[in-house]
Amino acid sequence: MKKKAKAKAKPAPAAKTAKKPSAKREPNVAKADPALFDPLTPGEVADALRTLAEDKRLATMAKVGRYRVIAAEPLVVKPPHELAGHRLARIVAYDYAADHTVDACVDLDESVVVHLELNKSQPMLSRDEEAMAIDIALSDPRVSEKLHMGEAPQATMHYWGRTPGDLSYARRSAAVVFGRTDGHASIVAVVDLLDLAVTQVVPAEQW
Amino acid sequence: MSNVIEEAGWKFHWRLTESAGIMVYLADYKGRRVLWEGSLPYVTVDHQRETLDVKDDPGERHGPWWVPLGTRTIQGPVRVQSFRGGVELSATFVAGPYQYTQLWRFHEDGRFAPWVTIYGPGVHDQHTYHPHFRFDFDLDGARDDAFERFEEGRWQRVEEEGWFPYSGEADDKGNVWRQVDFGSGAAINIRPHAWDDAEVFAIRYHDGEWAPFSPRAGAGTQPFPAAYVGNESLDGEDVTLWYVAHVHYDQSFPYTAGPWMRVEGLA
Repeated sequence: MKKKAKAKAKPAPAAKTAKKPSAKREPNVAKADPALFDPLTPGEVADALRTLAEDKRLATMAKVGRYRVIAAEPLVVKPPHELAGHRLARIVAYDYAADHTVDACVDLDESVVVHLELNKSQPMLSRDEEAMAIDIALSDPRVSEKLHMGEAPQATMHYWGRTPGDLSYARRSAAVVFGRTDGHASIVAVVDLLDLAVTQVVPAEQW
Repeated sequence: MSNVIEEAGWKFHWRLTESAGIMVYLADYKGRRVLWEGSLPYVTVDHQRETLDVKDDPGERHGPWWVPLGTRTIQGPVRVQSFRGGVELSATFVAGPYQYTQLWRFHEDGRFAPWVTIYGPGVHDQHTYHPHFRFDFDLDGARDDAFERFEEGRWQRVEEEGWFPYSGEADDKGNVWRQVDFGSGAAINIRPHAWDDAEVFAIRYHDGEWAPFSPRAGAGTQPFPAAYVGNESLDGEDVTLWYVAHVHYDQSFPYTAGPWMRVEGLA
């Protein structure tokens, strides 16, 4: 994960003398409205999702309907950005049909999509996807036959493979950890969420 | 409970996020803006296998994993408590064999501490935690910032975005990195935990370039925040900092990771 630093450095004056005339004094961020950071209300989430679903650029996604909303959170931009002071919602969804991420910003003051990006990043799993991964793992006999009495799903981890030979390297995946309620883990089941199948069952101590 | 806290010379707001723990935003010290927002976007975990025979060592066979710290994993409420000389927020998050307590501690002398205490056994002993903290400081305004690191016995100005690991060198107070505001001369000093094996990513701020609800940028590419690093200039701009610790699990756990930070020079 580490990458080589490519930045250049030069000696700096002490902080107290580090003064330089400001070329452009922008509006004061200290006057930002704290209410813009408040969690979205259920109505605001509904507004944002309706607006997004009606955007023509996402017509296919909305029609096919194989997408999951991953997150709907407030987004606050700083002045002098033209949207500073607007109530904004950042919506992240995963489109299973197209196997890509939808990263959008909806201006709730105007009910319009002001930013839309489709990319191959992997956002976190939604709660529904976490639950689905558990169901898939539990229904696989390779998992159930390895579970002992008292062992159950402990957590769904958001996982990706290390090498291209691993299916979860590029595909949306989860790793379900099974174990006892005292915290001891017994097995890990990797679930491919595109094919809805368990791809690996690994004893926890060999993970 | 109000999400605005005014105590010990600080005024700040907080909210519980879906995946980045407790976010603190619009934080002022002695009436002056210090922080636009700060959070703990993720704690990734990777696993190693231990063998005495090098030729049999398979290395890291599996990729990293993580779990969102937020509304779905919190245990109990966010706690707000005063302590002598300050005030703190804390919350505990649990996901199977992983447990974290996130802390934000604000001291009246200008120090503040965004920390995370890591508990839990994991799925086996050979694993390493990588807590990622993100800070968007707006010291006396968003722009006119500079990022500096202490090396070769003095503070050095950094011109471009990059990755800056702790080399073992620090000023006489233990500070390794700092963000300076040109206009006021005020600074945020950052002192890593000696055992964090810490590094800082300094990235030019862009609206909306917030934690993308995942460390995973895409197959075959650098994860975040490394994926954000380019060649943009930092000098005189608005700068975002990511502090990343690397903590190998051992029997002495729990372990508290995260930096000490101190505001200096605000008159």
